[in-house]
Amino acid sequence: MKKKKWPFVYVAVITVLTYIPILLTVVYSFNTSKLTSVWEGFSLKWYRELFRDRDLGEALMNSLILAVLSCTFAVLIGTSGALGMSRRKRKTDEVVAYVSTLPIMIPEIILGMVFLSVFSLMGLPFGMVTLVIAHTTFCVPYIFTMVRARLVGMDHSLEEAALDLGATKWQVFCDVILPQILPAILSGVLLAFAMSFDDVVISIFVTGPKVNTLPVKIYTKLKTGVTPEINALATVMLIVILLCLMGAYLLGRKVKAPAGEK
Amino acid sequence: MTKTKTKGNSRRRSGNIGLLIPMYVFTILFVALPILYLFLLSFLQRAQVWGVDFTFTLDNYKRILEPLYLDTFWQSLKLAFTATFFVALIGYPYGYFMARMSAVWKRRMLLLIMIPFWTSALIRLYGWIIVFRSNGVLDKILMGLHLTDQPLKLLYTYPAVVVGMVYSLLPFMILAVYSSAEKLDMSLVEASRDLGASSWTAFWTVSFRLTLPGLLSGVVLSFIPSMGLFFIADILGGNKIVLVGSVIQEQITKGRNQPFAAALSAVLMVLTSVMIRLYRKITGTSQLEGML
Amino acid sequence: MKKKLAMLLAVTMLATLFTGCGAGGKEDKGELNLYTWDGMFPQEILDGFEKETGIRINYSNFDYDEDMLAKLEETKGGDYDLVIADDYIIELAIQEGLAQKLDTSKISTYENLNPVFMSQFYDPQNEYTVPYGAGIPLIVYDPGLTDVKITGYEDLWNPELKENVALTANYRVIDGITLKTMGESFNTEDLDVIRAAGEKLLTLAPNIRVINDNNTQDYLISGEVAAAFLYTSQVSAALQARPDLEVVYPKEGLGFGIMAGFVPSKAPNADAAYAFLDYINEPENAAECYDYIGYYCTNKAAEEYISDEMKKMIVLPEDAAEGEIVQNISQEAEDLHAEIWNQFKNACN
Repeated sequence: MKKKKWPFVYVAVITVLTYIPILLTVVYSFNTSKLTSVWEGFSLKWYRELFRDRDLGEALMNSLILAVLSCTFAVLIGTSGALGMSRRKRKTDEVVAYVSTLPIMIPEIILGMVFLSVFSLMGLPFGMVTLVIAHTTFCVPYIFTMVRARLVGMDHSLEEAALDLGATKWQVFCDVILPQILPAILSGVLLAFAMSFDDVVISIFVTGPKVNTLPVKIYTKLKTGVTPEINALATVMLIVILLCLMGAYLLGRKVKAPAGEK
Repeated sequence: MTKTKTKGNSRRRSGNIGLLIPMYVFTILFVALPILYLFLLSFLQRAQVWGVDFTFTLDNYKRILEPLYLDTFWQSLKLAFTATFFVALIGYPYGYFMARMSAVWKRRMLLLIMIPFWTSALIRLYGWIIVFRSNGVLDKILMGLHLTDQPLKLLYTYPAVVVGMVYSLLPFMILAVYSSAEKLDMSLVEASRDLGASSWTAFWTVSFRLTLPGLLSGVVLSFIPSMGLFFIADILGGNKIVLVGSVIQEQITKGRNQPFAAALSAVLMVLTSVMIRLYRKITGTSQLEGML
Repeated sequence: MKKKLAMLLAVTMLATLFTGCGAGGKEDKGELNLYTWDGMFPQEILDGFEKETGIRINYSNFDYDEDMLAKLEETKGGDYDLVIADDYIIELAIQEGLAQKLDTSKISTYENLNPVFMSQFYDPQNEYTVPYGAGIPLIVYDPGLTDVKITGYEDLWNPELKENVALTANYRVIDGITLKTMGESFNTEDLDVIRAAGEKLLTLAPNIRVINDNNTQDYLISGEVAAAFLYTSQVSAALQARPDLEVVYPKEGLGFGIMAGFVPSKAPNADAAYAFLDYINEPENAAECYDYIGYYCTNKAAEEYISDEMKKMIVLPEDAAEGEIVQNISQEAEDLHAEIWNQFKNACN
């Protein structure tokens, strides 16, 4: 079959367009002027400012811890939930599944406000604990729906065979089920992590006096208008992400290659 | 068949219930409870300074029926529909073509789509300001090409908001379409071609119909957040479009009226639930196709 | 198996991270949980305070005054040691019993404060608060972009400024200046008067290009608009970037806002809050702060240390005390303000 060229051109053009704002952010992080409306020359001073800022480093650390913890809990809750619900048809399951996806459908601000009230009624201390709980609520749906969709299309004969051959459930899980749902979990985590790492509104409401997260810092800084420093931060983040993804990509290739089921 | 099934099932059942406990407990405690509280709140009265009085009232819902707030809902729906339309128009072919690429390129493209997702959404929006502002990048290009002779006032207009929304929501659509197009069995398309269908007919009768669930789930996945994405309207639209999200924000903050904000959110939630119901009715599935 | 190992490793790493965080605090000289907007203090002042007292500052931010009130309500006045916020919200916080009475003898620099900014409606006896900066929103315009000679709020309605005006997003203030053009008070509770102001405000819509609370000065600096109604810090920022811009003290009368610090009722480290208030009101430190935030200096003794460049912008002129402060008003009036504001925004679009 001959390959047409124009689909690739289309995809390429759209992809390039989506990168324009990001590239501009990177370019302007080297701008001497404080304003993004004028270009005054190349400078690294905003990077110096950035690395001088102790709070930002701390906030970055907090955000990483928060995203990792929320994703971990979301994976445990979402995956076990999806596994437990697979192959049974219960009304209650459907209700729980639906309710669990609500946090990504409600405007963040109202979720933040409600969490603030409910957590305080529960007597939870505001800080990392409340942040992790709140973030886990909106991470679960991403992982749960992915894994569930994956389980629907999965061939169950393999696990039945394994069970019949006397494998323990744990063995079946590790050797049969997990490898099949791992891609779904990973893609869920990719999204959930991104959402947690970017959340401002809910975090502002549920955080405590000692925990600042990076997006909240960025947001409040953008409001007071220290933009070039934020551009520099965005550039650094972008580089780190690229390195991480590249690592994951190379690693993934190594792991995938021998597995290759299809 | 029946025999092994019962055996397997009974064994699995016992395990299933244990697996469900975290999901049930967590959802009830931290999702259902707060949402019930939200609904309760929407029937209460605001207190003088802060918080609520526990007196039952329907006033919050009555207030939504005022023309101002009905108009706000209408504006939000209109913007969400417009944005979703363009998201589908641009995202569907993208996801579809992506699914036709080689395995290596598929993975590369997925990464390319995810990378912007991992940087701050706010920072990306500020990038668009650099593009749109007077004498900004776009003005310079247009003037350089002699298409216009003076700076256009592009920023803080409705189209700028739509661009921002489309930009932010596009990945959801692409991923949804991609995941359903990827499962598409190309032999069906080829079979229809072999039977003499033109490539357009083959596309419409086979490919499009089979990827429709993906498209629809992309529509739902971009429509729902677009109802709440008021900060895009604030940043790129100059705060001039009043959306439900911004009214909720204003009522919680400056208005200090949690109950009214709760009522607005409740209506918004019901609206989105109806959307999802409709989606299930049309596609006959209970699953939102591929959020990745 | 490898995966299990990797998972285990990840968990242990996390665990160590956590304990590391918990125990990582330096030797205890106490800490100060400071709660205010971002960018309210220069880094040098925060560092200087930590070095001098050994108290560690946890600087956390809120976005809106009301977010702060919500947090204090839910923590019953605990968790935070020092809050700096706007006048009207402090009145509410005090009403709700969320602030504690100050022992001003613990602030040795207390007499440096400028009495003009004290004894205001939110704290008439100065029992709870210490002022930290004041603002007067003003009109700034670009004579290069418009021929209109702006002298007051009324001029913003001039048809020649079509789609050429930027406004801040505080509806009490914007509705308020409309009231001022009608010769009314910011704080009128007469619903008919407010409604009439709403009608008048609607006719301003064609001139509005953008409404934004943040970085509003940028629109002026980049030439996006010809005139803007700005907060004080934004006025300072605009003039620093573009000295050719004109500042207008509107003839109809000025609006006034004061920011102040208070100690929440159950502050865990109230003494640290006193130490900080003491520190930032040392004349030279205060001057550094006001230079940085660009609000009117509320510390009399600091005025002589303020840089010449900033002096004309943030030292209050002797004759400018004729301002009116936006205060809390009845709920109906407040709701009506919110409503006409949304109608106005819809009309701008």
